[in-house]
Amino acid sequence: MKDRITKKENKPPRVFKTVIMTTYKENFAYRSQMAVSIFSQPVYFLVHYFIWRAIYQSRDQVSGFSFDQMILYFAVSSLIEFLNWDNSENILQRLIQTGQFITFQLRPVSHIYFSFLQKIGQRLLAFLIEVIPVMCFYILFGVRLIPAEPFWALISLILGFILSFLIRYTIGTLAFWFVKTAGISRAVVVLTSICSGAFLPLNLYPYGFQKFLFFLPFQFVSYVPVRVFIGKYELAGISMPIPHIVFIQAVMVIVMFLFNRILWYFGIKRFTGVGA
Amino acid sequence: MTKQKNASGIRSLRFSALGVYLQGMKTALASRMAYRGDFIMSMFIMMVVEFAGPVITLIIYKNGASFPGWSQYEVLLLQGIFLLSRGISFPFFMGMVWNTIGRVQEGTFDLLLIKPRSILLMTLATSFDSEDLGKLIGGILLFRFALKKLPPQPLSHWISFFILFLFSLILMFAFGLFMAGLGIIWVGNYRIYDIFMSVMEFGMYPKSIFTKSFQSVLTYIIPVSLLASYPASALLGSVDKTVILALVSSIVFLLLGFLFYYRMVKNYTSAGG
Repeated sequence: MKDRITKKENKPPRVFKTVIMTTYKENFAYRSQMAVSIFSQPVYFLVHYFIWRAIYQSRDQVSGFSFDQMILYFAVSSLIEFLNWDNSENILQRLIQTGQFITFQLRPVSHIYFSFLQKIGQRLLAFLIEVIPVMCFYILFGVRLIPAEPFWALISLILGFILSFLIRYTIGTLAFWFVKTAGISRAVVVLTSICSGAFLPLNLYPYGFQKFLFFLPFQFVSYVPVRVFIGKYELAGISMPIPHIVFIQAVMVIVMFLFNRILWYFGIKRFTGVGA
Repeated sequence: MTKQKNASGIRSLRFSALGVYLQGMKTALASRMAYRGDFIMSMFIMMVVEFAGPVITLIIYKNGASFPGWSQYEVLLLQGIFLLSRGISFPFFMGMVWNTIGRVQEGTFDLLLIKPRSILLMTLATSFDSEDLGKLIGGILLFRFALKKLPPQPLSHWISFFILFLFSLILMFAFGLFMAGLGIIWVGNYRIYDIFMSVMEFGMYPKSIFTKSFQSVLTYIIPVSLLASYPASALLGSVDKTVILALVSSIVFLLLGFLFYYRMVKNYTSAGG
């Protein structure tokens, strides 16, 4: 009888819920830090608004975007950035560097899932504190935040969320080889924001570079979800229906997951901790 | 006798504000050199990060669009000046923000308060950020690149540019004072940077792209236009009379920054409450 109760308590969904809620509560203590976005994001948005307003004074279209579409792109892309943000690579790097990672080797939950659940808990809070107020600002500003195809937009958003985690987590995994990965981490974060379309639509880049970006996972983090939200995908002259690009996004998530697991397999062999 | 004079001269330099600051700089560099590879990588990344704005400009102009009244290289010059300003301020004194937030959070801010020197000097001396030198290198590169593409400017333009650039640094220092002051009362909130960085973003683009009311705010209330727009206009010989008010505003901003910072230090209660 006792055994049955213990087994019931340790069921995966219960563990998942506990990790999510614990992280949520932990981060709730720092809610004022998240609340900074309520001020800073509208300011960043205003800068972009003025930049593009000045540019569109002399033309109606830039790379196939009308002014309203460009503003919508930046609004949605910033909201996606809030949802996708995580620092799993820093946490993992610290754990490996200090040797505390060894405690995770003794737990009955794989660290990748634990870390992902932490991200869910943290972003759940971010959704309430950052995303909703900023979204209200955009709506008041006159941005039409209505997805062209809600179902595909939601799927693409979820896949982007998972992929951004996998990219960050893979950077953290490199800590098995390097003592300090802050530099590499920064490099990849910058590379991701440039190549994911977080600060500029990718189809504004030179044509050759667009072709190169098409085969990298970064566009699926931000650019693809935004284009799915808008309802039209095009990069490097390649246009495709929304379900197709979402399917490719799902494939990229699987590829990235497998890549991380291979890296992890070799990395974990190198790990040495006190008592290990 | 001469030897004694020299020795006392060196001693007085060592214990002067500049000497204390240089010693702090030396220590910061030495400790950062423990992870040389990571340092070089971080510095390089700092440099690359700063090119986000100029890359946007290049892409905008490559797509046939433009900022009204500004050529591509004039905008790049403006952004080069902006990066230069950040490239000097971030490694040499903006680190006081991180330093203050970190120390207040850990409780080691008290250690600076009991030192027999000004708290601001001690905060500055212990906050040299060598990685941010990447920003300075990036700024120099972009500034030089843009200058080469533009016609040479007369000496008078250069003189007014240097004066305005000095005010740009004064404004940056004022920003730093406000942020560090906030870091004392808003414990552990590293996102204080975000508030100011978002406001500074207005300084990376020509003033003329904003609406009249916004231009007034960016000139007289928070004179962000002084960060790059005015110095660039001065160098290109097109600065207007509103610059005088912007200069006055930046001095007021600096005084308010000092007032705010020392008020926050006064209000600092330490872990003991």
